[in-house]
Amino acid sequence: MQITGMLYGSKLLEFVEFPSAEVLGPDASEEAIKAMIERHGSVFIKPVFKGGVGKKGKAGLLGRAKDLKGALAEKERLYFVEHHHGNQSAKANGVTFEGAVPAEHEIYFSLSVSTEFRAPTLTITHCGGMDIEEVDEKHIARVPFDALTGMKAFVVANALADIGAPPEIISPLVQQLPKLWELYHNFGMTTLELNPIRMRPDRRGRLTPVACDFKCGFDRDDARWHRLNLPSELFAADYSDFEQEINQLRTHQGQSDVYVINDKGTVLAPTFGGGANSLVTEMLGDDAIISSDFGGNPPYEKMKSVAAICFRHWLAQSNVLFVIGGKSNNTDIFETFRAMADALREHFAKHGPTPLFVVIGRGGPNLVRGMGVFRDTCEALGLPYRIFGFDSAMSEVVDYAREVNEWMKAGGRAQIAARLGVTQAVAA
Amino acid sequence: MHQQGVGDFAYYVGISSLSQIATRHDRVCVLNILGGESSEVTPVSHVWSGGNVVFGTAPGKSGQVLETSLGPVPVFNSVREGLDAGHRFNCGVVYLPPTAARDGVAELIRVNPELKKIFIITEKIAVHDAREIRAMGQQAGIDIFGANCLGVADAWNEVRIGGALGGDSPSDTLKRGSIAILSNSGGFTTTIAQYLRMAGWGTTTLVSSGKDIYIHYAAPEFAFALANDARSKAAVLYCEPGGYYERDADFTKPVVACVVGRWKSRLTRAVGHAGAMAGGSDDAAAKEAWFMEKFGVDGIYTPDKPVFSAKGALVTNIAHIPAALTAVMRANATLPDFEPEGTMELKPWFGSNMGIELPAAIDLPVVQAMPPYREQIGALASQVGAVFARQNMKDISGASQMDPRTQVSSLHGVTMLQAAQNSLEANLALALLREAGGRNDRALVNIAVGAFLNLHGTPALAAADAARESGSAPNAVLAAAAAMVGPRAAEPARQVAALMIELFSRAGLRRAEDDSFDASAIEIDEATRARLIGSEADPLAGAMIEAAIARGVRSAPLGWLIRLGAHPRAEAVLAALTTTLAWGPLQRKRVSRTTVENLPWWMRLTGTLIGATAPAEQHTEQGLCGIAQTRLLGESSLTEVAATALLGRAPGSDDLFAYQTLTGLLLTNGPGAISAQGAKGAVSADGPETPSRVQLNKAMIGFLSHTGFAHGGNGFEGVAFLLERFAGHTLADPASPDHGLDLTAMATAYAREYGAERAASKEVGSAARNIPCVNHPVFKDKPVNIDPREEFVRKLFEARGEYNVFHDYYRKLVQALYDEGVTRNVFCVNVDALIATLLLKMMWPAWQAGSLAPNELETAAFTAFLHGRLIGCAAEIEDHLNRGKNMDTRTPQSQVRFVA
Repeated sequence: MQITGMLYGSKLLEFVEFPSAEVLGPDASEEAIKAMIERHGSVFIKPVFKGGVGKKGKAGLLGRAKDLKGALAEKERLYFVEHHHGNQSAKANGVTFEGAVPAEHEIYFSLSVSTEFRAPTLTITHCGGMDIEEVDEKHIARVPFDALTGMKAFVVANALADIGAPPEIISPLVQQLPKLWELYHNFGMTTLELNPIRMRPDRRGRLTPVACDFKCGFDRDDARWHRLNLPSELFAADYSDFEQEINQLRTHQGQSDVYVINDKGTVLAPTFGGGANSLVTEMLGDDAIISSDFGGNPPYEKMKSVAAICFRHWLAQSNVLFVIGGKSNNTDIFETFRAMADALREHFAKHGPTPLFVVIGRGGPNLVRGMGVFRDTCEALGLPYRIFGFDSAMSEVVDYAREVNEWMKAGGRAQIAARLGVTQAVAA
Repeated sequence: MHQQGVGDFAYYVGISSLSQIATRHDRVCVLNILGGESSEVTPVSHVWSGGNVVFGTAPGKSGQVLETSLGPVPVFNSVREGLDAGHRFNCGVVYLPPTAARDGVAELIRVNPELKKIFIITEKIAVHDAREIRAMGQQAGIDIFGANCLGVADAWNEVRIGGALGGDSPSDTLKRGSIAILSNSGGFTTTIAQYLRMAGWGTTTLVSSGKDIYIHYAAPEFAFALANDARSKAAVLYCEPGGYYERDADFTKPVVACVVGRWKSRLTRAVGHAGAMAGGSDDAAAKEAWFMEKFGVDGIYTPDKPVFSAKGALVTNIAHIPAALTAVMRANATLPDFEPEGTMELKPWFGSNMGIELPAAIDLPVVQAMPPYREQIGALASQVGAVFARQNMKDISGASQMDPRTQVSSLHGVTMLQAAQNSLEANLALALLREAGGRNDRALVNIAVGAFLNLHGTPALAAADAARESGSAPNAVLAAAAAMVGPRAAEPARQVAALMIELFSRAGLRRAEDDSFDASAIEIDEATRARLIGSEADPLAGAMIEAAIARGVRSAPLGWLIRLGAHPRAEAVLAALTTTLAWGPLQRKRVSRTTVENLPWWMRLTGTLIGATAPAEQHTEQGLCGIAQTRLLGESSLTEVAATALLGRAPGSDDLFAYQTLTGLLLTNGPGAISAQGAKGAVSADGPETPSRVQLNKAMIGFLSHTGFAHGGNGFEGVAFLLERFAGHTLADPASPDHGLDLTAMATAYAREYGAERAASKEVGSAARNIPCVNHPVFKDKPVNIDPREEFVRKLFEARGEYNVFHDYYRKLVQALYDEGVTRNVFCVNVDALIATLLLKMMWPAWQAGSLAPNELETAAFTAFLHGRLIGCAAEIEDHLNRGKNMDTRTPQSQVRFVA
């Protein structure tokens, strides 16, 4: 949940009256672009990506033009440009035109959480305009401050003094930067980065900080950002239909976090607990369809809905239904297993049988009753199964599920299909 | 700004040794103690810790208590109120919802000057709140654990605070030993302790740190407290990506660190535990490197390549922790705390190949589980049927639901559109046993219900007739009959059903229709035998057995009963039939034992009610409605008999299909329908928590009394409307498309008339009457509107080549209303039209012959509704008595209103 770029960034900065570069959106008229070039001498053209994706400048995805023709050429080049960085890739949909702010000083500013200090932390340097990793450490101030008091003027002043910032930029920054704490703190942000802030001189040479690029991350668990009334499609970009459906059930009770690992996978593994989620996803690799954490003692109804959605999307292609978790502390195994077993039974009732091998590994309260329900369901549906207690190492159980999956691929699925009287086993 | 604590930290830390984290001297106050999670977990913690919870809070619930086996824990509105009452505590546990957690922390800190530690269980707390929580704790000098954690436990002190480490039986996992645990995963804190125990290592203090961005009690201060804890010889850390906590920890004792989450580098956003995913310098690879440097090792410990030093080992699989720990400790000349308690190899507790040959590698034989699970699995084998969790069932049903989008209701997952294609007997099985069953099952229902259809000479018939005579509506007539089928009449068969469940489960009966089942293992004493076998022939029993033979019924219990003696009792035969019927669903744990024990009563009740819809003169010694008694039991279907009772004549095959469709559609309309509410209220009032006290016949009276001329009898409105429209026209056979009527002209004429009438009423400011059976609040606003239920059934009849002139008229009418400008679009013909048109088509011959008065037609419409709905309500009643709580349908005082 990130916002990058000035298109929305400038609107957010307006909330706290922090000056920002003039920006025009993808639908800007040629007259408006031309007028902007006349006012500022030149404009920057930047592609608009949904969500956050970094290192755009280095990839040459930043255009600059001094006339309308150049600006339109850059618009054409960047409007639908694709960008790959690390494991992320993004496709632009539109560009912004940003008035150039000529300045002598470029400031890097960010607010974030530091796990070293365990406090909100200001990071600032007067050597901005480049990646912070490339700036000499001695020019960077990292200053934790009290969350209850907030980032006050003295925090900024002390930080700038510590790194020997030029005296002329200190006063304007001390006046303007504390506003950004209001934005960060009151609208549910986890990070806020402005790089660069350019120090624009007025006619009398007095400097004003002007934000020229914007990046922020929002906290999914904090409703404060809803106050901003941002269009929801800004964040909807990278959720599949399946993930969207599951997300609708997200409440504070029960995690119900999912991620589609491989939509061609053959092991459907509803996983309980973040730890189990890490272990299972790591070991199953591409066999796994989803990575999930359904722990946190979900109530019956929610568990059943979650399971029903999983089955509807993935059961037909699955060789193995693999229900796995450690020895739970308070997740009621009877309730969660009953819910999943009922969902499985209803799925079979509605969509007909599908060849499946059920592997379960679990521990926790009401364990045997829960296992009993799953056993009865497998028996009723005619599915082969193995159910392990917590005295079998979880990693061994994962390996077992993988071996079963291999057997299913090598003809086991067809055997079960024949046993169930399913005429067409979906090739898996 | 922080208080000065112990150690050389840049922030406040108050705990100098792990032994201080959870002690027997700690006294605990739990915020939101009555919440869902706390009310389950806190009693276990309290009892295991020797009673450490002094009180809890829950706003507005002061005066309540949380029951525990050590006595009740008092609940107050607020912390201040608890302190004012004289309680003192040094530990606060926060179970509040995420948006309230920060305020709860503030309350604990500001109100109680003796506070030392806070444990936050709440997950999904906003980072915004987390940093304020951190700042408040630092300012006041309070150690905070969590959030998003499962609290802490100490195996030496036998204390756990906040959360549920060790589950519902902490001693099973937490055994005194020498290893401390710090884990980002609450679940794995317990799982690791369990794994260690199997390898001979016990535990000291276990800290579930949580995995929020702010971890308030993290690795650096854990390492410090570990150094100062004489009991702890080593520690196990379980770490996920995100945060620099481990990097800054300075360990002086051996450590096994399990770092997971390399796979997260493939993700583009957080899954599961919050925190960094990849790319940062605090991802899994970075954390692995930190630990390797600390331990002076150059690789990951695996069983194949054990890399470790005396300082520690790094693993990436929790299953390798015990072996790595043993290796590291051996290098420190230290042996495990006790003999290993087991191995971690694969041990399936349950399994089946379902007749498929598996390769040896995956064909693992089922092994005995460890105690106490072994005993539980043994007990499971003897447990028969489903056990439902009890809950408040007001406006909730486990039997029926309505899909708000399609408006189609379903009963046990079968939509009314599907049910409309089932026979009445199949739908009865569906309602009570959740499965419509097969041929054998239908035969069983037909006999079991058939035995009670003819009410000749019974008080039920006398009561029904008296009610009818006094002018009561059909529902009241049936209620009078139902009142005569009370618990006393049902008890003998119920007892036999209970006995048969016991005997045949013990004997291992899998398929009840298996005639060849060897029942020789079943032994009964003389007294039991006397309950099943009488000294002389029982005519009803004989008739049912004959009918079973005539219908070719297969039943192991019945076969066993017949072989037991010459004269089986009628209740025993009935119970044998119903137990056979229910055996599959019972084995599959779809229904409870209680339901199967109730089944004979249900059969009797259903028979009585359907029988009572036929007037007294139709019940004779020889038979019912002209159907001979032997045919009634041995041949007829329930659908046939019920249709006969309704029509007053033998139904043709078209009539039967129409009747079946009609009753199927009417089975249920979800738990919100008034009829269902009446049934549920009646169960609730009897107290379903003692299911044997629920009077099924009274519950049916509850349903019946909650039907009436507006709910159930309203099917007649459509009939009356059609009669008006067809008055003066000659119609010989409504099933013939060659009826000779110009329906379009009739419809157009009425549309004009209605349009004029409506315009006139608008003039005088009154509302025009609505045309019954057209339009629907959901299926509207399209140019041409269709009620999908009507369309489904219409196509069903079309496929059978059946025609219904009344239905055709309705379709012409909605078009004419639009064509004449009366409606803004083409209204749908709704599902009620099906009921009216089907009914009128069936009744038309009698109506034409003049043998049916308008009020009798109305009675017939109402009765058809009751036939269908009584089956749906039986499902509702059975569901509520299995799941509901005593008096759960009442409305709280706060929600009722008074109007003047």
